[in-house]
Amino acid sequence: MNEFISAGLIGVSLGAQYALLALGFTLIFGILGVVNFAHGGFYVAGGYIAYGFVSHLGVPYVIAVLLATLATGAIGYLFELFLVERIVEDHLATLMLTLGLYLTMSTGVLVAFGPESPQFQFPISGSLQIGKFHLPIENIVVLSICLLAIATVYLLMYKTDFGRALRALADDRQVAAAQGLRPRLLFPLAFGVACGLAGLTGALVTPILSLAPHVGDPVLATSFLIVILGGLGSIGGATIAAFLVGLVEAYSSVYLGGSKGALALFVLVLIVLVVRPSGLFGREVRGA
Amino acid sequence: MQGGELRVENISKRFGGLRVFTDLSFKIAPAEILGVIGPNGAGKTTLINVICGKLAPSSGQILLDGRPVTGKPVHELSRRGLVRSFQQTNTFKSATVRENLSRAIRFSGSPISIWDRLTDLLKQFDLAPRLDEPSDKLPYGMQKMLGLLLAYTTRPKVLLLDEPAAGLERRERTQVDVFVKAAQADFGCSVLIVEHDMDLIRRLCPQILVLDAGHLLAAGTPEDVLSRRDVIDAYMGVGDDEEAAA
Repeated sequence: MNEFISAGLIGVSLGAQYALLALGFTLIFGILGVVNFAHGGFYVAGGYIAYGFVSHLGVPYVIAVLLATLATGAIGYLFELFLVERIVEDHLATLMLTLGLYLTMSTGVLVAFGPESPQFQFPISGSLQIGKFHLPIENIVVLSICLLAIATVYLLMYKTDFGRALRALADDRQVAAAQGLRPRLLFPLAFGVACGLAGLTGALVTPILSLAPHVGDPVLATSFLIVILGGLGSIGGATIAAFLVGLVEAYSSVYLGGSKGALALFVLVLIVLVVRPSGLFGREVRGA
Repeated sequence: MQGGELRVENISKRFGGLRVFTDLSFKIAPAEILGVIGPNGAGKTTLINVICGKLAPSSGQILLDGRPVTGKPVHELSRRGLVRSFQQTNTFKSATVRENLSRAIRFSGSPISIWDRLTDLLKQFDLAPRLDEPSDKLPYGMQKMLGLLLAYTTRPKVLLLDEPAAGLERRERTQVDVFVKAAQADFGCSVLIVEHDMDLIRRLCPQILVLDAGHLLAAGTPEDVLSRRDVIDAYMGVGDDEEAAA
């Protein structure tokens, strides 16, 4: 029973991290119709920027996380404004462009920091005992920040004019522009927010898991899988699917072992897609 | 609110080697309604796309109230009062009818009091009991009228309507008349209507233009223009025998 509850807690913690990543990924797809293959690159960049500030400049970790979030958001904003925006209607071209950016980012990190994983430790360690359970404090901190960030994204998207405008653009950009919305102002901001979320996740999670130039590969794959499972472009779907994937990963790795666990996850996704091709919460026909 | 004057001067549009229309000029005075008719492929929708800023003209200029607006983006022209509707149903599909209208009011900066007037129109278009239904679940005709109401909420000075009656059942088409008259009564707006429904054109438009293969074939009152042989030929097509005979 203890094992079951421990795995559940790990699953929730993983799910919160995945949700933060997938929200950014699904925002970009839902609003711009762009599959951002560079999403994993922003996760890696977030980790390395935070690492650089902490290790080379002696900046406190909390400040470094904030700076990494802002820096990745700014890179995403500029990338959309100057490159993606020119070809945003051409899905194949945006796919190649974002893939190219990912390769540039991961190779750039490789050249700048080398292939070895740097020593990047979470500043807090130890564990919290609740009854019979020992919970690593770092996981609790990361989980709390992720949940706070997810709540912020929801507030931003559903309670602000900015979010309402983005959702309107996601619905139909022609109609939204005819009502006076400025896609060319809002698209780069949305891209920046989404990439900032990936950077925040990277800065928070890589000190616990690992930091290396190519840790973005599985991040991209997982984000993609979650967003497809939840329904492309669905914010609620991505959040629920992220926690579902986190829990399935945690339980299957405990009870089935590593490779069988991964297989279980993919089989689950396959079954869901056979039954509901548009994902758990996807719309069958999208206006965007 | 005062309606706007739209002046189109010598505009042409080419896509590579394909000339969609050439050297078109016309004017819509404040509060005037102008119909634009022509066979499929005449360039009518492209004309609306060029005027509303979706496409840049290859040459020529467009003036709104005497100021050049050629090539300005759609959102900027919308904020200046030059607003279009779409040939297909175009609403915010994942949103309810109420959310659609709330968004349009918020984004266009219209006063919340416009709801009072909208309430009347919603009743006339049978949308009042369906305010909380997702717009994409509405019957086609209702989606189309909702799309027109989205344009209405921006308080247009010049309204560009792209085939507002297309796909509507005959009994629904009079709702377009109601809509145009309401927009004119409330905002005094000028209206350009691209349409194939000649009854609707006759009812609403004191003046019409006929486009054929990108050229202005005729202009005048519907009675005069629609009885012209060359207009009838352009619409119905001229058979080889007739051409040979001519």
